[in-house]
Amino acid sequence: MGLKGLACLLVLLVLASAPWWAAQQPFLLHMLVTACVLVVPAVGLNLMLGHGGLVSLGHMGFAGIGAYVAAVLMVDARWSFAPSVLAAMLAAGAAGGLISLLCFRFRGHFFMIVTLAFGLMLHAVMNNWDSVTRGAAGFAGIPRPSPLRWGDQVWSFGPLPNFYALALGMAVLAFALQYLVVHSNFGRSLAAIRQDERLARSRGVNTLLYKTTVFAMGTALAGMGGVLQVSFLRVAAPASFTMLESINMVLIVIIGGAGSLVGPALGALLYVGLPEMLRLSNEWRLVIFGVMLVLITLFAPKGLAGLCARAWQWLIPRKTTAVAKP
Amino acid sequence: MTQALLEQVINGLMMGSVYVLVALGLVLIYGVMHVVNFAHGVLFTLGGYLGHFFFTQWWDSFWMATLLSMLSVGLVGYALERGVFHPLHGNLRNQVIASLGLILAFENAVIALWGPNALQWKVATTEQLVSVGELRFSVHHLGIIVLTMAMITALGLFLKHTRFGTAIRATSQNQEAALVVGIPVRRVQWSAFALGSALAALGGCLVGPLFLVFPQMGDVPLVKGLAGILLGGMGSVPGAVVGGLILGVTESVSTLFLPTDYRDAIAFMVMVGILLLRPQGLWGQRVRGED
Repeated sequence: MGLKGLACLLVLLVLASAPWWAAQQPFLLHMLVTACVLVVPAVGLNLMLGHGGLVSLGHMGFAGIGAYVAAVLMVDARWSFAPSVLAAMLAAGAAGGLISLLCFRFRGHFFMIVTLAFGLMLHAVMNNWDSVTRGAAGFAGIPRPSPLRWGDQVWSFGPLPNFYALALGMAVLAFALQYLVVHSNFGRSLAAIRQDERLARSRGVNTLLYKTTVFAMGTALAGMGGVLQVSFLRVAAPASFTMLESINMVLIVIIGGAGSLVGPALGALLYVGLPEMLRLSNEWRLVIFGVMLVLITLFAPKGLAGLCARAWQWLIPRKTTAVAKP
Repeated sequence: MTQALLEQVINGLMMGSVYVLVALGLVLIYGVMHVVNFAHGVLFTLGGYLGHFFFTQWWDSFWMATLLSMLSVGLVGYALERGVFHPLHGNLRNQVIASLGLILAFENAVIALWGPNALQWKVATTEQLVSVGELRFSVHHLGIIVLTMAMITALGLFLKHTRFGTAIRATSQNQEAALVVGIPVRRVQWSAFALGSALAALGGCLVGPLFLVFPQMGDVPLVKGLAGILLGGMGSVPGAVVGGLILGVTESVSTLFLPTDYRDAIAFMVMVGILLLRPQGLWGQRVRGED
C-alpha cells in the first residue's frame, strides 16, 4: 500500500464524493461522467499499448461493436443492462481476439496499418448496415439502466449524480482489472514480450496466445466503454467510433503515460478538462492536444504519469536514489 | 455492361492515380527513414487548402496555384522532418504517435482557419468533356491520370538516372553503408520527406476541384495510400504504383455489384486478403527479423 496507495485512495474518495461537492455544478459532474466514459476504453488500450506494446489504431471500432451489441439487445431484445454489458464485452472481446489473430501476422508498422484498416471496416459496417444499426443517423432510444430496488428504496439511473456513480464504478472496475492483470504472471510475461518478443519466445512464453489474450481483454474493455457511452448519451452514433476517435484514444493513453496504472485517468481528465479551463473552441483544443502529443513524444516519453512520478521522487526522495547518485 | 465497366475502370484509374501520389510519398519517406508518416493525409488536405487559397487570392491559374501549394507543403514537410521525425528516429512507436498528434493539430488548425464547411474550387477543366467512343469524361479526370503517369515516369527516371536519385536508393537499401561511402544521408532524408510531402499536396490540388476542399479530404487517400504500399510491398516504388491502382480500380468496379457505401471496406478486404496470402506484399521481399 504505502504512500502511493493512500494517495490513490484519497483521489478516489474525492472523485466519489463529487455528487456532494459538485452538487451546484452539474456541468462539472457532466465532465466527470464524460471522463469516466473515455477512461474505460483507455484502460483497455493501455493494457494493449502500454503493457503489451501493441499499438492499435482501431480501438474505438471495437467500442462500437460493444455499443451496438448492447443497443440491439437492450432496445430490440429488451434485455436489461447488466447482461447486455456482459454480452457486449464478450462480443467485442471475441471480435478483438479473432481480428488480432489476423493482425499478428504483421509486425511493426504493418500491424498498426492493419488495425487501422479493421477499425475503418467496423465503422463502415456501423454506418451502413441500416437494418441493424440504423445507419448513419444513429441508434436512438437506448435506455438508461433500469432502477435498482431495495425494499422501498428505488435507485434510478436517470439523474446525473446516480449515473455518475455507475460510470465511476465501471471505471474503477476497469482499473482494478488492469491492476490484477499487471501484477499477475500474465502481466509479467506481457512485459517481457513488450521488451523483447523474440527473447520471451525463446524462454518458452507462448507469445501469440498472450498477445491475443491481451488484445481480447483490451477490446472487451473498449466494448464496456462503448456501452457506458451509449447508455449515457442515449444514442449510438457511428460518428463516435471513427478513426479520429481511435486516434484520440491513443492520445489519451500516451498523454497520461502509457504503461502507467493511473495514466489513462490523468489523460482522460486532462482531455476533458483542459479545454474548459482554456475556454477555447473545440478545434484549437485539438490543435493544442496534437502539439502536446508531439512535444510529449519528444521530451517526456513517459507522459504525465512519468512527470508526476518524477515530481513525487523529487518531493519524497527514496534512499536508494541518494546512493545511486555520485 | 461493358460500357459501365469501362467507365468504372477509368474512374478507378483516376482515384487510383491519386492514391498512387500519396503512396509514392509514403514509400519515399519509408524507404529513407523507416517511418510511416500517418500525417501524410493532413499534408494532402493542407495542399488542397493552400492550392485553393493561392487560386482564389493570388493567382487565377490552377497550375501556378498547384505549384505554389506543392512548394509550401514541401517546406512544411522539411520542417516536420527536421523538427519532429528526425529527433525521434529509431523509436518507431513515438514516431507513429507524433504523427498522430500532427494529424490532430493540422486537421483542426485547418478547421479553425478555414471553417468546417467544404470549399468550392471552380476550375474550367472539370466542366470540359471529352468523349471516348460512347463514354464521356471531364478533361480533369483524364488530366489526373496523365499527370500522375508523367510524375511516376519522371520519378522513376530521377531515381534511376540521377546522382541524387541514386543516393536516395542507396540510402533506402542500407543507411549505414550509404553513410560510409559518403552519401549525405541527412540531406537525402529531408529532401525525400519534402518531395513526398509535395506529392501529397499535388494529390490534394488535383482532387480539390472535383470533390471539393474539406478538412477530412486527406483521410481516405491516406488510408488507401497506406493500403497501397502494404499491398505493393513496403518500400517498393513499382509496388506502390501497382498497389494504388489496384485499390482504385477494385473499389470503383465493386460499386457495380455492391452498394457504394461499402466501397472503402471492400478495398481493405482486398488488401487484407492479399496480405494473408503474401504478407510481404506483391513486390516486397521477406527480410528476416525486419519489423
